[in-house]
Amino acid sequence: MKSPFRASIRLRLLLAASLVLTAFFGLTGLSLDKAFRYAAEEALKNKLQSSIYALLAAAVEDGKGRMTLPRNLTDPRFNLPDSGLYAEVSGTQVGYLWHSASSVGRSLDFLQQVGPGQSHFQIYDSKALGKLMTLNFGVVWEDYAGHEIPYVLAVAESLQPHLEQIDAFRNTLFTWLGGVALLLLLVQGWGLSWGLRPLHAVAEELHAIETGRSDRLSGDYPRELKSLTANINSLIRHAQARQQRYRDGLSDLAHSLKTPLAILQGLADRVGYDGTETQHTLTEQVSRMNQIVSHQLKRAAASGRSTWIRALPVKPAVERIARTLDKVYVEKAMLWELDIEDDLGFQGDEGDLMEVLGNLMDNAWKYGRSRVRIGGQGNAQGLELHVEDDGNGIPQRQMAEVLKRGHRMDQHQPGQGIGLTVAHEIISAYGGELRLGQSDLGGTDVTILIANGGHAGDTHPYG
Amino acid sequence: MRILLVEDEDDLRKPLAERLKAEGYTVDQAADGREGLFLGREYAIDLGIIDIGLPRMSGIELIRALRKEEKGFPVLILTARGNWQDKVEGLEAGADDYLVKPFHIEELLARVNALLRRSVGWSQPVLNCAPVVLDTRTQTVRFEDQPVDLTAYEYKVLEYLMLHAGEVVSKTDLTEHIYDQDWDRDSNVIEVFVRRLRKKLDPDESYKPIETLRGRGYRFVLQRNS
Repeated sequence: MKSPFRASIRLRLLLAASLVLTAFFGLTGLSLDKAFRYAAEEALKNKLQSSIYALLAAAVEDGKGRMTLPRNLTDPRFNLPDSGLYAEVSGTQVGYLWHSASSVGRSLDFLQQVGPGQSHFQIYDSKALGKLMTLNFGVVWEDYAGHEIPYVLAVAESLQPHLEQIDAFRNTLFTWLGGVALLLLLVQGWGLSWGLRPLHAVAEELHAIETGRSDRLSGDYPRELKSLTANINSLIRHAQARQQRYRDGLSDLAHSLKTPLAILQGLADRVGYDGTETQHTLTEQVSRMNQIVSHQLKRAAASGRSTWIRALPVKPAVERIARTLDKVYVEKAMLWELDIEDDLGFQGDEGDLMEVLGNLMDNAWKYGRSRVRIGGQGNAQGLELHVEDDGNGIPQRQMAEVLKRGHRMDQHQPGQGIGLTVAHEIISAYGGELRLGQSDLGGTDVTILIANGGHAGDTHPYG
Repeated sequence: MRILLVEDEDDLRKPLAERLKAEGYTVDQAADGREGLFLGREYAIDLGIIDIGLPRMSGIELIRALRKEEKGFPVLILTARGNWQDKVEGLEAGADDYLVKPFHIEELLARVNALLRRSVGWSQPVLNCAPVVLDTRTQTVRFEDQPVDLTAYEYKVLEYLMLHAGEVVSKTDLTEHIYDQDWDRDSNVIEVFVRRLRKKLDPDESYKPIETLRGRGYRFVLQRNS
């Protein structure tokens, strides 16, 4: 399966831009988040440190000069139960243990033994109090007797508000970053459309050339596309010129071969029909050579569809041929009617169009009795042409014969077949189809179907 | 009947001209377009056979020039390419029929015959003005269904008169359309031919098919039947 990214530059650029944006905003978000968390944690540590100092400040001496703490402290959060700030002071040597009023009814378990002058921060998941940030601080207190007694002061603050704060920050941060990223993506998408617009313009102009509304790229394109469009234009000109040269070469060849053949034919005719073998052979061979030459030249000249050629209006060509056929078959006084859309176009060579129409219409004039009808319409699928007459029609047996592909013209008896074969060859070169049927006028209905976008070498229904 | 034959290839033109003469036509030959135009202007041509690919002036240009000078005689074009674009172009320029090279002389003669008749309103190869019936294909004449033996020139005169049946044909017309350019144009000869024709066709003088209009010429008076 073809990757969708291979199919669209726009998609590729959008994907790249989205990846860059996502990476940028993701990393930005992470760094901001980390910085904020660090700052919040530092603030919390400072707060705990201050609380330790507050405890020390509040400490008083008992009768022996040992440290003791009052029931209530100045910071009200130590006094309110479940305030989230807890303290404990222990002096194990003297069996002293104090805890703040806020921890009433709970067993505190965050106290650790640390040496004097040492402090230890810890995130601690307490069973009783939930997540805490703790600070244990060791001091030495000298009593009146001059004993140095070690104490540990421990404070703990619930992490809950801290975590909530971080969550709130994150929410805000990522909402904003996401919003900005989305906005940037939209702007990027618009920018891409704007940037790629000249490519669309090229595509549209190429389509116009294909459908024959134009024969070159004429728009004013950005510098990056100029060399491409200039190359396409020169390719088109080159293709047209080459086709013309090819055609001229072929018709010159035809002309130079046909006249000597005509002389030979005349020679054979002049000898008279005396029935000698030489004369018979001469006539026969000249006629064979002629048919082979005509056939091969016509086949070679039937170029097939060229995308680079302006579509030709069909109706005027039909009218021209009809008028000339009226002249050739003047005694028939053929009544012809056209039912062709005015803007019907044939995408191909004018010679091919004239050849197909000429051969089919010549048959109609030749074999029709008094009426001929030519219809044509185009749609998105392609072109459909009908040439109908009121003659006797083609015998069923001959129909298949006529449409056999690669059937050599020199094997044909003169008649409707030759013209049909020529037309069929040309239509095939365009990847089209020629069908024979019965017309409601009574005679043959020759239908030509040429699909849009088909080209030479397409598989053929009669292949 | 006077035919203008314009073809640059000598090997094709000469035998063609010979054959046409043998068929009883008077032939003016030209090897290029300019010469063809000159002959077309100069002589009373009944039909032109013109090759499309001519030196100095193409067949198409020649036909256009002739038509512009109101030369209305039918023209048969010879084309080597045989493609419809050429045919249509030729016919649009003023030609009346086409023949693709190489062709059989018989085919050419049949087309020439048909074009000549058509140009004067006869659609059939047999000119039937009962009781005179002239077959242009076999060049034979029957009177009351009996064959009439005519010399080549007597036939030519009768054919011309019958083709233009009902019209006045001057002696000059007859001389011009029947004789080669280098013949002595003595109108007395025509009178002799007409007299002989009358005797051979209608010895009893019961039909009097050829009428003399003093100072103007002749008229074939029997009605066309086809």
